[in-house]
Amino acid sequence: MLHEFKMPDLATTGGEVKILQWLVQPGEAVTRGQFLLEVETDKASMEVEGTASGVFKGALVEAGQAVDAGTVIAHIESDQKAPATQKKATPQTTTPTAEAAPANPAPVPKKTGGLFARNRAAATSEAPAQPNAITEKTALGQTTFSAPGGLLKMSVARKTAARRLQQSKQTIPHFYLQTSVNAEPMMKSRTAALPHKLVWDAFFIKAVHAALKRFELMAYRFEDEQLISQGTDTIGVAADIAGDLFVVPVETPGEKSVDDISRLIRDKVSALRSGDPQARMMKPGVMSITNLGSCNVETFTAIVNPPESAILAVGKIRPVVIAVSENAFAIQHRANLTLSVDHRVVNGKYAAEFLGAIVDELENL
Amino acid sequence: MSTSTSPDPAAYERGFLLDLYRRLVLIREFEERVKFLFLEGTMPGTIHQCQGQEATATGVCAALNEDDFIASTFRGHGHALAKGLGVQEMLDELFGASTGCCKGKGGSMHMGNMDKGMIPAIAIVAGGIPLTAGMALAFKMKKTKQVAVCFFGDGAVAEGAFHEGVNMAAIWDLPALFICENNLYGASTHIDKVMKNTRVSDRAASYGFRGETIDGNDVLAVFEASQKAVAECRSGKGPVLLELLTYRRTGHSRRDPCHYQPKDEREAWIMRDPIDRFAEVLLTRSDIKRDDLDALKTSVDDELTAAIEIAQKAPQPTTADLLTDVFA
Repeated sequence: MLHEFKMPDLATTGGEVKILQWLVQPGEAVTRGQFLLEVETDKASMEVEGTASGVFKGALVEAGQAVDAGTVIAHIESDQKAPATQKKATPQTTTPTAEAAPANPAPVPKKTGGLFARNRAAATSEAPAQPNAITEKTALGQTTFSAPGGLLKMSVARKTAARRLQQSKQTIPHFYLQTSVNAEPMMKSRTAALPHKLVWDAFFIKAVHAALKRFELMAYRFEDEQLISQGTDTIGVAADIAGDLFVVPVETPGEKSVDDISRLIRDKVSALRSGDPQARMMKPGVMSITNLGSCNVETFTAIVNPPESAILAVGKIRPVVIAVSENAFAIQHRANLTLSVDHRVVNGKYAAEFLGAIVDELENL
Repeated sequence: MSTSTSPDPAAYERGFLLDLYRRLVLIREFEERVKFLFLEGTMPGTIHQCQGQEATATGVCAALNEDDFIASTFRGHGHALAKGLGVQEMLDELFGASTGCCKGKGGSMHMGNMDKGMIPAIAIVAGGIPLTAGMALAFKMKKTKQVAVCFFGDGAVAEGAFHEGVNMAAIWDLPALFICENNLYGASTHIDKVMKNTRVSDRAASYGFRGETIDGNDVLAVFEASQKAVAECRSGKGPVLLELLTYRRTGHSRRDPCHYQPKDEREAWIMRDPIDRFAEVLLTRSDIKRDDLDALKTSVDDELTAAIEIAQKAPQPTTADLLTDVFA
């Protein structure tokens, strides 16, 4: 008998569950209770046990996709006969739907009704089921504009980021300070380190860490009418992994060299790309750095990443003309820096001096 | 932990030993079946399971009379089965059926049956402790010789309700038996992170009564310690605190991946599995044979299979039941 393996109801708030990876291959013999896949819920990542013994016929939903509990995600050819009580699933027709974006059909099979229906208030507006269809990977870069009213499913990470950023932007009174930094010392240092390739962000992490030591208030957060020390010197770097925003934590940057930090960031980013659930765990930090220089952005302002109180936005390093005296100019590589700060924690002057200290660190390597 | 070696099974009747074994297996298999019913989406809600802790419930309840009362927790399936609730009334309850032990209104975390000496379980951590003191006070005032027993976890010890309930039982010498199932974790937090003195039984002395720490994965040791404690309670000597050292083999709830349990710690406790150990004791130190144990396992499997089939078709409460058996 063909056993329909459904996504268990593992999310604490009844939300979707994202498949991180399948642990078995089609054709493989599996036993009831064996871990078949790894998932990520709104609260944790975990392994999921299969509910039947037999031959794993294949996944119906690919890694990277999120589905509601009760969705059939794989078939297992079970060696048991169908129990008398179990109803045969009614075959559902495959109908094209205007609701799915054309480039991203996402024909995720859905269970209709049943115990899981309570988790899906919007069940009626969902696309009809297409059994056996493997969903296409959602790559945001490849998505074309959908028809009006077209829906795109959000990943679990995307939803978390959306909620936290909205809360930050709406509840933290941000102010922004802008300056620029001479990038020549960093460039020299990079050249000198070759063939080791130093990550730009590593310099900023070291500089921010050194500046934090002189401006301790920046390492506090506002909570319940008081300032609380963050109690860590972990600094985060924002990373975009296939459309999901992650913060790569760099712990104790004071004890690491720029080279060490570069390697650490590269390793963590590739672990994130591979879907390593361990790498996806959040680590509270003291401050974050976000860098859009590689996307040719010269200046931007970032949203503070709670519970942190500040974030440094780094723009593209580019040659600019600077006046060296009343009547002479020179060309120098510079980058714009914008510091976003929680005004409840510090005032403008204090944050300005902190930003000045970061610039000092970067210009005096 | 108690330093004495495991009690000798030869001192017990064969029927009693087999009953203990069947009860351990019934709890384990009940939990395993329920796990898959949950994973399959056949059964609603989350569940808190007790695989690995079967000997605590079984050993304690074997020392109780039918009219003694227990109070349980969110992890209460084992306590209920050990106290004598039926598989059918419990499975019906899990499926929300009106034939369940709480007519489908309690669910996994509120299993109970007053006729069988179990008040519906209380999911609030330490919530059962003051209630147990209250029940024990009633028994004492009515001079019934009944004993009230409270199961709770190591996490409950940090609650104010623990202090209040235990202290009240102490000052009035109430017939209350406090059973701390110390499984090392309050949800995901290791006991070392929340207690300087992690020997929970030591706390009894500060309230002026006896406490003892027992290997909670040795069902006969648990039974003997409970029997002694129950006798003390019945004779009017006041409460006893038993700390039963055990370990849960599953997450705190079905949605907890349990990544905080270190691998070597898990493996060490799996080596001390209460069912495997008791089977070993029976096979080497009594005339019970492997076939006897296998037959019990088969009878448990059959009982559960039949009960699940019935429970899945059991009648659900109707809107007419909405206002019955509720206070507010």
